[in-house]
Amino acid sequence: MASELTNYLIVGAVLFTLGALGFLTRRNLIVAVLSAEMMLLGVTLNLVAFSYEHATYEGQVFAAVVLTVAACEAGLALALLSALYRLRKTLDMSVWRDLGEPGVDLPAEKADSAPAHPTPAQPYPRLTPAGRVPETVWTETRTHV
Amino acid sequence: MSDAMHALSIWLIPGGPLAAAVIVGLFGKSLFRGGAHRPVIAALVVSCLLSLWQLGTVAVGSGSKPTENGSPVAGEAAAQPVRTGPIAYGFEWIPVGSLNIRADVQIDALSAVMLAMVTFVSTLVAVYASGYMHGDPGYPRFFAELALFVFSMCMLVMARNFVVLFVFWEAVGLCSYLLIGFWFERPIAAAAAVKAFVMNRIGDAALLIGLYLIWTTFGSLDFSDVFRDAKVHSYSPGFSMHVLLICLCIFTGACGKSAQFPLHLWLPDAMEGPTPVSALIHAATMVTAGVYLVARCTPLFVLVPEAQAVVATIGGITALMAALIALTQNDLKRVLAYSTVSQLGYMFLALGSAAAGEAFAAAAVTAAIFHMFTHAFFKALLFLSAGNVMHSMGNVIDMRQFGGLRKVLPVTHIAFLCGAGALSGFPFLSGFWSKDEIFGLLLNGTHHGDHRVLFQVLFWVAFVTAILTAFYTFRAYYLTFFGPTRIPAEAFAHAHHDSGHAHGDAESAHGHNGHSHVPVTAAQSEPVAGDPTQIHEGPPAMKWPLLVLAAFALAIGLIVGPTHVFAGWIAQMPTLAKGEAETFQWLLAGASILAALGGIGVAALMYARPSNRPQLVRAAFGPLYTLSLNRVYLDESANILVTFPVKAIAFASLLFDQGFIDLLVDEIGSLPAIVGRFLRPVQNGLIQSYALVMLFGLAIFLTTILQLVPFP
Repeated sequence: MASELTNYLIVGAVLFTLGALGFLTRRNLIVAVLSAEMMLLGVTLNLVAFSYEHATYEGQVFAAVVLTVAACEAGLALALLSALYRLRKTLDMSVWRDLGEPGVDLPAEKADSAPAHPTPAQPYPRLTPAGRVPETVWTETRTHV
Repeated sequence: MSDAMHALSIWLIPGGPLAAAVIVGLFGKSLFRGGAHRPVIAALVVSCLLSLWQLGTVAVGSGSKPTENGSPVAGEAAAQPVRTGPIAYGFEWIPVGSLNIRADVQIDALSAVMLAMVTFVSTLVAVYASGYMHGDPGYPRFFAELALFVFSMCMLVMARNFVVLFVFWEAVGLCSYLLIGFWFERPIAAAAAVKAFVMNRIGDAALLIGLYLIWTTFGSLDFSDVFRDAKVHSYSPGFSMHVLLICLCIFTGACGKSAQFPLHLWLPDAMEGPTPVSALIHAATMVTAGVYLVARCTPLFVLVPEAQAVVATIGGITALMAALIALTQNDLKRVLAYSTVSQLGYMFLALGSAAAGEAFAAAAVTAAIFHMFTHAFFKALLFLSAGNVMHSMGNVIDMRQFGGLRKVLPVTHIAFLCGAGALSGFPFLSGFWSKDEIFGLLLNGTHHGDHRVLFQVLFWVAFVTAILTAFYTFRAYYLTFFGPTRIPAEAFAHAHHDSGHAHGDAESAHGHNGHSHVPVTAAQSEPVAGDPTQIHEGPPAMKWPLLVLAAFALAIGLIVGPTHVFAGWIAQMPTLAKGEAETFQWLLAGASILAALGGIGVAALMYARPSNRPQLVRAAFGPLYTLSLNRVYLDESANILVTFPVKAIAFASLLFDQGFIDLLVDEIGSLPAIVGRFLRPVQNGLIQSYALVMLFGLAIFLTTILQLVPFP
């Protein structure tokens, strides 16, 4: 008995699974964020489906709230990503492994599956520093710039 | 006087020295410096006066009614014409179940005698030390430790139960350790301090076991309860076995503290401490704590004559052996130290002579305490005189290096002569009376009781020891004060760069390498290398205590001996059976006079003038002389028999520890690393792998939950 609800749920599950697979397999940070958003949408679809099934509005309202939050979250994520990119000049997620045990190797990757990291031809233009650098105890590390 | 005032006056006896010790110990360096002796002497004088007053009340109250002042066994005390002595209540210290240890003090006859002796001698010694220790960098520390010792000793003799006694038993041991090692920069002094402490610990361990046994046997640790129950239960089966064990444990503890064979080895080494300490702690007071303990526990010892026989035997062995060793020692202080060991042996002989029968218990305690009392005066006197000699001779104490000092140090000479006469039992001096009582007791033992043969042997041992005592004492006297005047070079070095009375002991503590060390041996009799008039007696603080002690050494026996004051005091102890007072036996007295004079005469023949007689005697005795000179090889035997096995066990333990236990611990320690080697790859830092684990975890969790929760 494939009711209407079941179809919606199947679509939601497919979206969620695709997002999860994307998150697990892609190393590009932006794609990973997009995948995560897709998982969120898959779940939100369930809310809307049940709301429709029970003929109530709570689910719909909740879905609207989730979408708003997702938008904020995406904005935040993109800001973080651009900051990360500035530090290492790459979007490869496997570069950020500071939480791992030192000396642990990654599982071997296939030689041709990973494209070589694109090296930007030109560093981003920076504003010329104006005035003196303020003397603080903490000084920004400029090694990666 | 009200009760509160009375209690306060009792608490002041130990409290004064304690306060002085705390004040001088904390603020001595900053506040008092060279005047650190003042608060200590003041406190000691107060203690001494209060102690004498307490002794006076005990003595006067011999026939008066018993005090109602909290007698623990009110019924019995009322029945018997005895006094338990005033009690000053302290506080409940260890209330655990039926065990209730109170920190109270009590002054009965025995305590009063001990208190008077301790505080009086320590006052004089403190005055003496203010001259002797002058200029020492550790001056305040010395007086703080001295005051602490007096406090501990007072509490020890005033304790009402075994636990408090044990605590202060340890405390006097601690003070002894601190004061022997006073010049701790010298390795030899530090080693002597450790040796004293360790050998005392052996005895203390036995004493502690004795306390446990008392607790299990009597269910109480109060003197009054234990001694009362000892009488009551004396017929129950197995009881005497327990008491025998208790007595032997207590006696072993006393052996350690009072330097009895075989735990006597620490006392001669303890002479590395400053001379006032040798005089006070290692001659007059602390070493008599063992005698006090056995005397205090006499109500237990009388139940088991075998234990008393052991006490007497050990006492006899110690007395004779120490006297034999003292014959050939060249170090003046060592002679006196061995003499102390020997005299302590006499005291234990006296205590053990009650094995002849319960009726002699009171007389035995009386004789032992009397000898302890007189011994405290004349032995302190001898040590302080030796300290004067040391002071004037630039810390040379080897009798081969000086001689003929009677013109150089006239006061010291007279004082030493008084002490030597008293020690050797010269007629009508103090040692004569007290030794005579002991002889009388031993003679009684040969007529009464089960141990007649033993007492016959012990009597002759005591008699021979008396001759030897007279001989070695006057040997030391003649070697030091007679013959041509010989003064070691150190004395002049000392006199030259010494302005005033700055004392040289401190400088010897740092080694006198700067001095030319030219020993003048006994064989040489060349003219002295300097002017004897440069050599001076110590300051007045070092003379007056000598003279006071000399007066006591001469007279105290005559005052106390024939009048049987002590017997009257000791008879007030409620715990001792009444016994007949010792009567003066003229025959025995004559024999002991002969012994003393004989010993003195032989010493005079051999040493009064330089002659080859000592060499002849030495040659005649040959191996025996070597044996005595090397202290019967007891130190070496102890090293081989005890120290070496212990060290071997320690080494084996070290090997076991490092080879086995450490290995085990290391292996266990490497276990987490091995486990970690397998778990580490999980933490690879890749976000996807974490996400994967999370996903699986979530899946498993959800599946489980959905299966568990019933579907509506």
